[in-house]
Amino acid sequence: MITVPRPGRPRDGGNEGADGAGPAAPTRRRSRVRAFGLRTRMLAAFLLVAAVSAGTTSALTYREARNALLKTAQDMAVSTFRDQVERTGWRLPVEEEGIEEILRDLARTGKPRPWVVFAEYGSIRASSGENPVSSVITPELRRAATADRYGSFERVVKDGVPYLTIGMPTVFKTGPDSTLPTGLVLYAVMRMTDEQINVDALLIAARNGALPGLAVALVPALLAARSVLRPVRELRRAARSMGSGRLDTRIPVRGRDELADLADTFNESAGQLERSVGELRDAEARARRFASDVSHELRTPLAGMLAVTEVLDEDADRLDADTAQAVRLVSAETGKLAVLVEDLMEISRFDARAAELNSDEIDVAEAIRKTLQARHWADDDRIRTELPPDIRARLDPRRFDVVIANLVGNALRHGGAPVTVLLRTEASSSGTLVLVVEVADRGPGIPAAALPHIFDRFYKADAARTRSPGSGLGLAITLENVNLHDGTIRAGNLPGGGAVFTVEIPLRAEEAGR
Amino acid sequence: MRRGGRRGVARRRTRWRGLATAVVAAVGGPLVGGCGIQDSDVIEAGGPATVEAFLNRDADMLLFFRSPDGGLSPVVREVRPSAGFGDEYIEPGAVARDPSGPAGPAPTEKVVLALLSGPGEADRAAGLTTALPAVREKEAVQVEVASDGGITARLPLAVQDLDATAVRQLTCTIAYNQAKDGRGVVTLRGQDGAQRSGSCGLAPGASG
Amino acid sequence: MSRVLLVEDDPFVREGVQLGLRRRGHDVRAAGTGEDGLAALAEFRPDLLLLDLMLPGMTGVQVCRRIREHSQLPIIMLTARGDDFDVVIGLEAGADDYIVKPARPEVIDARIRAVLRRMDDGATGRPAIEVYGDLTIDRVGLTVSKAGRPLTLAPSELRLLLHLSAAPEQVFSRQQLLENVWEHTFHADGRLVDACVARLRGKIEDEVGHPRYVQTLRGFGYRFGPL
Repeated sequence: MITVPRPGRPRDGGNEGADGAGPAAPTRRRSRVRAFGLRTRMLAAFLLVAAVSAGTTSALTYREARNALLKTAQDMAVSTFRDQVERTGWRLPVEEEGIEEILRDLARTGKPRPWVVFAEYGSIRASSGENPVSSVITPELRRAATADRYGSFERVVKDGVPYLTIGMPTVFKTGPDSTLPTGLVLYAVMRMTDEQINVDALLIAARNGALPGLAVALVPALLAARSVLRPVRELRRAARSMGSGRLDTRIPVRGRDELADLADTFNESAGQLERSVGELRDAEARARRFASDVSHELRTPLAGMLAVTEVLDEDADRLDADTAQAVRLVSAETGKLAVLVEDLMEISRFDARAAELNSDEIDVAEAIRKTLQARHWADDDRIRTELPPDIRARLDPRRFDVVIANLVGNALRHGGAPVTVLLRTEASSSGTLVLVVEVADRGPGIPAAALPHIFDRFYKADAARTRSPGSGLGLAITLENVNLHDGTIRAGNLPGGGAVFTVEIPLRAEEAGR
Repeated sequence: MRRGGRRGVARRRTRWRGLATAVVAAVGGPLVGGCGIQDSDVIEAGGPATVEAFLNRDADMLLFFRSPDGGLSPVVREVRPSAGFGDEYIEPGAVARDPSGPAGPAPTEKVVLALLSGPGEADRAAGLTTALPAVREKEAVQVEVASDGGITARLPLAVQDLDATAVRQLTCTIAYNQAKDGRGVVTLRGQDGAQRSGSCGLAPGASG
Repeated sequence: MSRVLLVEDDPFVREGVQLGLRRRGHDVRAAGTGEDGLAALAEFRPDLLLLDLMLPGMTGVQVCRRIREHSQLPIIMLTARGDDFDVVIGLEAGADDYIVKPARPEVIDARIRAVLRRMDDGATGRPAIEVYGDLTIDRVGLTVSKAGRPLTLAPSELRLLLHLSAAPEQVFSRQQLLENVWEHTFHADGRLVDACVARLRGKIEDEVGHPRYVQTLRGFGYRFGPL
């Protein structure tokens, strides 16, 4: 979704990549578990609207349907009951004997289902069931039946069970147009269980109707969320991409809404940032090139000067004292200048990432011994070594020599004797075997304030100190050389006093080439 | 800073909880709360049921007694054969006396006497009683029908002291024996010379 | 002591090195270009050529190749560290050793002596002529012939072959070879050995891809044979 135009330019070194990958991972993890994110909220809003409308519709529909259903059932029951009652004949006065049989006949023919029929006449109370008097029939219904002489019904809920009660007063014909109340009132009591079931079914149906509605609502909800979230996600990804160093990241601008404006602004800002950073980089590159060029240019005259220092040294004795001193000074400083220029060249190559690793499989203990020998430190009683044999590692011999020589030289110059060189192998925390070289001295140690800067170029732990014999680049070059081996170096102080430099280089399992 | 942020989150969470409750109330309320069957008022659904009472106007008489709830209950009683008794009372203007149809075989005087003799065994079994005092003199009843349909009955008892139920018992019994629809104003005259008149008015409005 | 031809374009360096080496007893002739250097070869007949790689016109590498076409003259390249690519090309072109500039005259002198010494101390108490397969090595006459046909080996190649064949089937690490054959310090560039081995194989092996005489032992180094 994000277009990252990538020109042929190779991605700048591992540093930026590592920086970018690190913080990006937790961010991504956080986004996965975000509970009330934009998407969730939009979905919730859509679902809420859908649910309310579906729910309201369902509820209204349900009410109407329920009422219609109940009305049908009730009307049917009342009219059936009246029909049934009108088919009966009674002698007046009504006699208690035989009345229950009539009532049971009535009860059997109940519609939509059997009912219990009660009869009240004078002091006679009878029913088709077990109790002659119903506990469900209310005084209001009784009054409507006896005093108002209307057929009427009432829904009564007793103990959670709904009942339909019908009161039916009776009259008889005294002539073709006239009737007289008989004084007999018949009641029907019907459980509405099935109606309850119907109602429940209706309820479920309404719910089932609402749920698909909600599901359908999800689609526009997701679409809307997507339309908002996609630009947001693109923006986030672009921001992260920029954070990890790809400053040419841009967001495609779609439409004309606020999000498009945001993308536009982002692109503009990114462009400005890219320009600024580009200028900075150019400036830095120019500075580096300049340092490299300067040292290159210095090298040629130095080569000539260095070639004649010997002549100067040898002939100095034959000159008068002042001239001789001047000549020796020039000769000595030429040597130092050569070292400085050589170190500058080396640093420039590291900066330009042009430093190559020419690895060879070597015996590490032997290599360290040779380094000490070459500097005439092998028989120096200021140096103690602990070099177990048979540790072989794939290293660039020249660079490893530089590392050891710089560390030992540094210890001799700034620390105090004895200088200890320890070699061992160790399993690192990640399980790989690492080569460990420790160079420790018994000097005053490194001031705490200097520790973070000890590997900086031209860093002087003691600001007042005069120029040291080294170039001031020794530890910086050491650090670069160790890094080139994928190793680490750290400086610290020993508990008993004295500085210790620890180099760790992973041992490679691969064989020496060629 | 940090604590403030957390409180903000809590507040937001509360707001969401409130919203969720509102949703449940808005959606669930109508769905769940209004379900089931509720009580209802008493709802009228048409008139009373007309039943067969085996009333034979040619052979039966209609008496009104007092039911336990204070109302009147009609009772159908077969006229017992009583030789030569009823014929004497037929008057020359009998046809004119009842223009709505042929008069029942039981003369009203006899019916009134039957009423005055009180509820029978079956009537009492059903809890029916009478509000009329017991009367012995059976010959003392006379019924006259005026030309306008008004009925006048001379009764062998003191009318003045009768309660309303007793008066209605007499009125309805006389009215329904004189006419099938029980209409007509009945005037009661007692031995005490008092006179009360009224109509039965028992017929339900719907079918009357 | 020895006659050194220096080919270096920068006049200041040329003069300085010339001065330094002359002080150490060498007979030095200097040339400013590759063409001049080649021209001086026949007349001056140097024992050794000190050749700057970066030359105007004909480059040091081209000069090196031209000389190797017909001569076993020891050649030491002058190079600046970091110009790694040129070092490899120079070694492949047939240079015997290289020196990183700027270098003190004592370093250059030591390297010159090492290269020249190799040519001298060949035979020490061994039979003069040894035969390995098709290969005949004359440790006294310092000649090598294959199937009767004499081979022209550069000094470093010859020295390497002599060293390896002096102890057949013994494995030498590159660092050991650098120390023993080139008299470098232990920390020199192993590519020097690799380039020399490659050149040597091109001359003595039947199949360069499957060497019989100079064999590689991955991770350890090189050995002579077994045949």
